[in-house]
Amino acid sequence: MHKQRYWGYVFTFPFIINVLVFLLFPIVFSAYISFTKYDLFNAPKWIGLTNWINILNKREFWLSMRNVSMFALIFVPLQTSFAFLVAFMLNQAALKAKSLFRLFYFLPVITPWLAAGVVWSWMFNYQYGVLNWFLGLVGIDPVNWLYSRSWVVVIASIALVNVWKGLGQSMVILLAGMQNVPHEVLESAQIDGASSRQLLTHIVFPIVTPMVYLVMILSTISAFQTFDVFLGLFGGITTGISEQSMVPNIMIYRDAFLLFKLGPASATAWLLFFVILAITLFQQYFEKRWVHYD
Amino acid sequence: MTRTTPLYVKIILYVLLIAGSIVMMFPFVWMVSTSFKTVGAIAQMPPQIIPRPIDLSNYETVWNKVNFARFTLNSFLIVGADMVGALLSCALVAFGLAMFDFKGRKLLFGVMLATLMVPGQVTMIPTYFIWKTFRALDTYFPLIVPSFLAGPFGIFLIHQYIKALPKELYESATIDGCSPPGIFFRVYLPLCKPALAALAVFTFMGAWNNTLGPLIYLQTRSRYTLPLGLLFLKSENPNQALLMAGAVIITVPVVVVYLLAQKQFIQGIASTGLKG
Repeated sequence: MHKQRYWGYVFTFPFIINVLVFLLFPIVFSAYISFTKYDLFNAPKWIGLTNWINILNKREFWLSMRNVSMFALIFVPLQTSFAFLVAFMLNQAALKAKSLFRLFYFLPVITPWLAAGVVWSWMFNYQYGVLNWFLGLVGIDPVNWLYSRSWVVVIASIALVNVWKGLGQSMVILLAGMQNVPHEVLESAQIDGASSRQLLTHIVFPIVTPMVYLVMILSTISAFQTFDVFLGLFGGITTGISEQSMVPNIMIYRDAFLLFKLGPASATAWLLFFVILAITLFQQYFEKRWVHYD
Repeated sequence: MTRTTPLYVKIILYVLLIAGSIVMMFPFVWMVSTSFKTVGAIAQMPPQIIPRPIDLSNYETVWNKVNFARFTLNSFLIVGADMVGALLSCALVAFGLAMFDFKGRKLLFGVMLATLMVPGQVTMIPTYFIWKTFRALDTYFPLIVPSFLAGPFGIFLIHQYIKALPKELYESATIDGCSPPGIFFRVYLPLCKPALAALAVFTFMGAWNNTLGPLIYLQTRSRYTLPLGLLFLKSENPNQALLMAGAVIITVPVVVVYLLAQKQFIQGIASTGLKG
């Protein structure tokens, strides 16, 4: 470490500006306008807690929280368990063509959301969609995936697309964790007569719990901040997203940039942040029960 | 586990993995297949995997008439500028944090980790206000300037790398009469190539796939990026073959970049747990 202070500030200057202009100012300003009536063109007018109270009394806000919670409840366990299963299988020494399989499972991660969205919404099409055609082959009635009258069907369909898109990323993190499991440990356990299932539950799983925890935290946060999957599947904010499929980030975007109600939009953004923070702290509280570090 | 794996376990393993791969890859197959279909063949039942006849006109329409040619150019322009900005600024800041002891260094480091947690939806509206004040709406500045100001993810990635390099490098370069900027450009920047390569891939993916930024800031159609162009196309309700041709055009460059830089990308995700 060198005591040339001057140079320290010179080199980190871009980031100092970044923090001041694009982090500190936005946090303060966003908190301020959540207490005002503001439309970007006229000066903000202080209205106290009105925005906050209005939002908490708004049916749409609670529906969006309901939807996003269901979205997370379906998405996080499914993505984590599938990713774990695939990573475990890819980690088997006997498996050939590992990198090809990894490519197949990872490709959706790098695909642009809009491309994924238009394909899936076409596959979900009620009349001509290929998914309903497959269902028809096994004698199941067509499902109106994205526009079903049941909100659970709508949210579950979107969550499934999200699992398809995100599975590869969790898989790579878990695979890296599994590769840290020492081979000697596995071999000696096998010599002692442990079955594959015992290896999985007593050795591999405990060692990768920190990675499983990381994957769950990351996917929970991303689930509550979901935006792109809704935009991609419905092809726009004003087209097709009803109360049944509304989520907080879509609401924030619409209120801020289409309706120019920046006060309510900012208050909603903060509420969403508090919800995410509370859930993350909650997950951290239970971490000690099942995550092993050593 | 090599010697003891029984045959039936192997079979189950392959069957499960191949079945999963088919599910994962099917949307891509369907996207490419539909993009080559004529209007008549799109809704045909049973669905054709290999279209007959193969129709190339969808690509021509999307590329020329919908002007994906222009959107592609715009996307590459923004992504290129973002890559230059992110590599340069993140390396500078990481070097500063790793090499010099100055007041506020620890604070800055803490802020960097905290930035990773501040949600985009909170800062999005004030950031829009900033660019409106600078009269930079409907330009590329809001999409490019922030990458020149060093993002926390990139700083973190390169900082970890610099930390692992031998400390004697800096001293010996100083003794040879090199100034700190000289040491940065001539000694450290070339040594950081693997970390820079990883950051380059992440920046490419992040900027190429970015939808929200262009959606908020760009209005004029000729300035659209590819994702925005595809969103616009979808809102026009064209036939599915045109949409799929657009989706293929957006997807091909990321897949090519990924195949070229697979190693850096996977290692980056595995070591930091994050993407872009």
